[in-house]
Amino acid sequence: MSKEFQSTFRSVIASIAPKTTVRAHCDLPCGVYDPEQARIEAESCYRIVEKYAANEDVAYRTRAIAIKEQRADLVKHHLDVLWHDYFKPEHLETVPNLHDLFWQATKQVSKVKASTDLADAKRLLDLVDQVDAAWKATGGPSKTRVAGRPG
Amino acid sequence: MTGEPEDPARLPERRRSLRDRLRGPWRVVVDEGSMLPGIAPGDWLLIDPTTRAWPQNGSVVVFREPVSAELAIKRVRARAGERVPFNGGYIVLSEGEAWLEADATPRIAADAGFGAPIDSDRFGPVPVDLLVGRVWFRYGPSGRIGRIARPPSV
Repeated sequence: MSKEFQSTFRSVIASIAPKTTVRAHCDLPCGVYDPEQARIEAESCYRIVEKYAANEDVAYRTRAIAIKEQRADLVKHHLDVLWHDYFKPEHLETVPNLHDLFWQATKQVSKVKASTDLADAKRLLDLVDQVDAAWKATGGPSKTRVAGRPG
Repeated sequence: MTGEPEDPARLPERRRSLRDRLRGPWRVVVDEGSMLPGIAPGDWLLIDPTTRAWPQNGSVVVFREPVSAELAIKRVRARAGERVPFNGGYIVLSEGEAWLEADATPRIAADAGFGAPIDSDRFGPVPVDLLVGRVWFRYGPSGRIGRIARPPSV
């Protein structure tokens, strides 16, 4: 192809190319996922239950329960994001009990909200750790974190 | 952005005159993936900007997204008088309104690296004043040239 032909071809393409962009609009996925977010909030619940038990003051206890409620909601949110956005159907091959695990973990969050029993908060930590194991077993750390985090 | 008038379609407050509509846009390029698998990012599309009313259900349209006012592309799912399932119940569309839906499921969008598709489930019914044109033909890239059809089921 001659140089003139190539340049003519390019200018024809340029002249027929659209100048207006339309968006097939989607949410922006950051693609960063880590069960540690859920774990930290679940640890907050655990510590709050401990502090609740160690303090008789009514105002303190009321506040502790309110904060536990908020932290528990965050646990549920972070678990939901992992479940809906990170995990994909093919991960069921590696983690066959994935759906049951999330179901149990999110139900346990509801239990922690209603309870001041440390055993319930501990059980939630265990379930979050199982989610963490599932995330690791499916290559989560290398696929979803930036620049070698977590260390 | 050269050649064409800067933003001919941005007149959402009032019904655009034929003269306004004739100014286009007549051709657009797609960004993002909520219309996958049929319409992909980078597709060059021809649109008919003279369309005054929402075309038949199943047609693909370019419109101004409510709130953001951005030029967007979606498929007409329902029009005035029809019921659409929404949030556990349903709503009935008023005169001039259409319900616009993405083609891509969240799964298809996620596989292509996008988040959940944004459509009428998010921004509600779209008034006809925000309609910019009906998409009818894909003229690029070369391997994908062809008419943009309505799905046979609607």
